[in-house]
Amino acid sequence: MTQAITQIGSSVDALTRELEVISNNVANANTTGFKRVCNAFSKVLDSQNGEAETYTPGTIDLKYGLDFSQGNLVQTGRSMDFALSGSGFFVVETQNGPLYTRNGVFSTNQNGQIVDEMGRTVEGESGPITLPAGVSVSDIQVSSGGQITAGGTALGKFKVVDFKDSDESKLVSVGDNCFAMSDKSIQPTSATNVVVKQGFQESSNVKIVDEMVDMVMVTRLYEANMRCVSAQKENASTLTSVAMG
Amino acid sequence: MLKAFSTAATGMAAQQKMVDVIANNIANVNTTGFKTSQINFQDMLYLKMKQAGAEVASGVNSPAGLEIGSGVRPVSTTKVFTVGELENTSRSLDIAITGDGFLQVTLPNGETRYTRDGSLQINASGQLVTTSGYTIEPAITLPSTYTSVDIGTDGTVSVTDSSGSQSSVGTLQLVRFQNPAGLSDEGDNLYAQTEASGTPTTGTPGENGLGAIQSGALEKSNVQMVTELVNLITAQRAYEINARAIKAGDEMLQTATNVGR
Repeated sequence: MTQAITQIGSSVDALTRELEVISNNVANANTTGFKRVCNAFSKVLDSQNGEAETYTPGTIDLKYGLDFSQGNLVQTGRSMDFALSGSGFFVVETQNGPLYTRNGVFSTNQNGQIVDEMGRTVEGESGPITLPAGVSVSDIQVSSGGQITAGGTALGKFKVVDFKDSDESKLVSVGDNCFAMSDKSIQPTSATNVVVKQGFQESSNVKIVDEMVDMVMVTRLYEANMRCVSAQKENASTLTSVAMG
Repeated sequence: MLKAFSTAATGMAAQQKMVDVIANNIANVNTTGFKTSQINFQDMLYLKMKQAGAEVASGVNSPAGLEIGSGVRPVSTTKVFTVGELENTSRSLDIAITGDGFLQVTLPNGETRYTRDGSLQINASGQLVTTSGYTIEPAITLPSTYTSVDIGTDGTVSVTDSSGSQSSVGTLQLVRFQNPAGLSDEGDNLYAQTEASGTPTTGTPGENGLGAIQSGALEKSNVQMVTELVNLITAQRAYEINARAIKAGDEMLQTATNVGR
């Protein structure tokens, strides 16, 4: 009996966590460049040294992964809004190393450097990109390859990087629409399969209906688990009453 | 209590802010020279429950971590400085800037503000002023004898007197900023310079990237009604689903409570 209760406890924990993941997804349904977190339960199956698979009771592991699928591109017409179509990230420089983002809502700071919403400089192929005095953001033209020009003068090129699919899962969300690489030994490569679109924003890839369905499932599963607890409770009391005569 | 409650609450608050911004855009759909705002969100900090790449067994690294986000926050509103549609008014003192640039105005307290609202007026002393009565910089005074006034594409203001002779009385100048989105919105169609906008550069209309001046026309608001309505629906639905997340959490707690009975 106690084992059943432990198992239920672990599954209830996982369901609570799942709801937390879903609510974070829906809270960010309108966050530019947001990537949803996929959430799927998986029983931990231990298969070691070719032995038969054994199920370890009471362990439910939440498989967490970022879903890097493309979000819709929404036209804003703002000259400093950039969206990436395809696989890749903009790079922003912070004190703790580079962060990767798909949120291309940029502006310029007091030094004319291109910065993100938090004021962190956006990396170009050769360091930060600076707009010379007298050049306004509305003069800027950005090609699909990320080349920045103003009135025919080249100002630089956005650094757009990509990770191998196998490494992409090692990216972690750090908030502020950014991702960091958890494994410091992995270096990104220059993105090849990506197009920079000026005047567009990539909207969040959260699909409200999917989240809704997941949410309903979580509540029902939770209920079912609780039903099991009730059943266990009844069993126990029946058993006690029989024993006590 | 469930973390999901506070997470979904940040979502509801953010969507509400979005509706506020949209409402202001829609309210100003007919405001001359108005620029639409967009609100930008960012996800908040993540609670790391398991580090990606952590060693789960000897030689086995966890392929993915477990991080739970704590919601969303509005981080900025940016003005979109695209040129609005030009509307013909045939009034010679109505001007539209057909590109980049702002008119410079001086407030009664001597401070400088910037505007794209070109419905100019003449005050009691013959000076060109905005509809709110603030003087245009550089100050242009019309003689009392004029019968008609013309404003050229380069900003030259010339008057014709009763005898039919034309004379120039001054030139309107425009200023531009490196980052107009960094201007602070002061209401009354006015903007103020900030650290983020950079310092203004003054120039003749139609030169050095500044827009030309078209008289007899006004620049309408650049609010796109359809876009705003689509955004409104998006915000409303997102608000609803966040409320639903709170309800889901509530239902779960309720089932849990019922077990104890």
